[in-house]
Amino acid sequence: MIRCMCVVQAGQTPDKSQAALTEKLNTFSEKAFGQPASVHWTAVPAASGFTAAKPSTSSIVSFTAEQPVAQETRVSLLQDLCDLWTGETGCSINEIVAVINDPQPQ
Amino acid sequence: MPLYICNAAKGAISNAAKSKIAEDVTRIHCDVTGAPATFVHVFFFEDAPQWSLNGKRALLFGSIRAGRTEAQKKQIADQARHAIHTQADIAADDIVTMIVDTPASWVMEGGDIMPEPGEEAAWLAAHEAKMAQQHAS
Repeated sequence: MIRCMCVVQAGQTPDKSQAALTEKLNTFSEKAFGQPASVHWTAVPAASGFTAAKPSTSSIVSFTAEQPVAQETRVSLLQDLCDLWTGETGCSINEIVAVINDPQPQ
Repeated sequence: MPLYICNAAKGAISNAAKSKIAEDVTRIHCDVTGAPATFVHVFFFEDAPQWSLNGKRALLFGSIRAGRTEAQKKQIADQARHAIHTQADIAADDIVTMIVDTPASWVMEGGDIMPEPGEEAAWLAAHEAKMAQQHAS
């Protein structure tokens, strides 16, 4: 399983949308890494998220690959990930931070 | 990016203090690195198990773009600890700070790969131009 961490602002991603996103993230993971994702959701409590020191509407979606990813591939995957997220949530491109990490050295 | 996660014991940091700590951490990061404030995210949690407190009252975990010096990272960590100590009245030795590097090339924000340290102004100008063009079309 590929680890995927999603951090969203409380109340910003309804349960229905979260379920749809989880499904799409799994499909993305299988296409990108050949394995489904273990998706972990964390909601930032109300009045607890800040971007540029102002109340935040930003979400973070972060995958950790099991093999190093070529940069050209990573860029393409990150674009797909941002498109997936903005398409499902309706958020602006400026509200999503997407990360694809290489595996941690042992 | 950077993303600063502040995990604290339940009730240890009030909402008013969170706002002030976020201001301080944002200012500290920008002063030390020269990065724009729009890049800086500060999220607060209470007793979140994934960022273990290990018996302390507060943990500040910062994931920043790789390329900063050890001295810069120490400066950020020390000043952020002081900000939490001052704003939330938590003893300094009850606060743990940890800064880790993430390559800028692994992160996409605003639909663009993040700039390397020192290339922020050009990135922001290009990004804003792209956004304006998309908005106009």
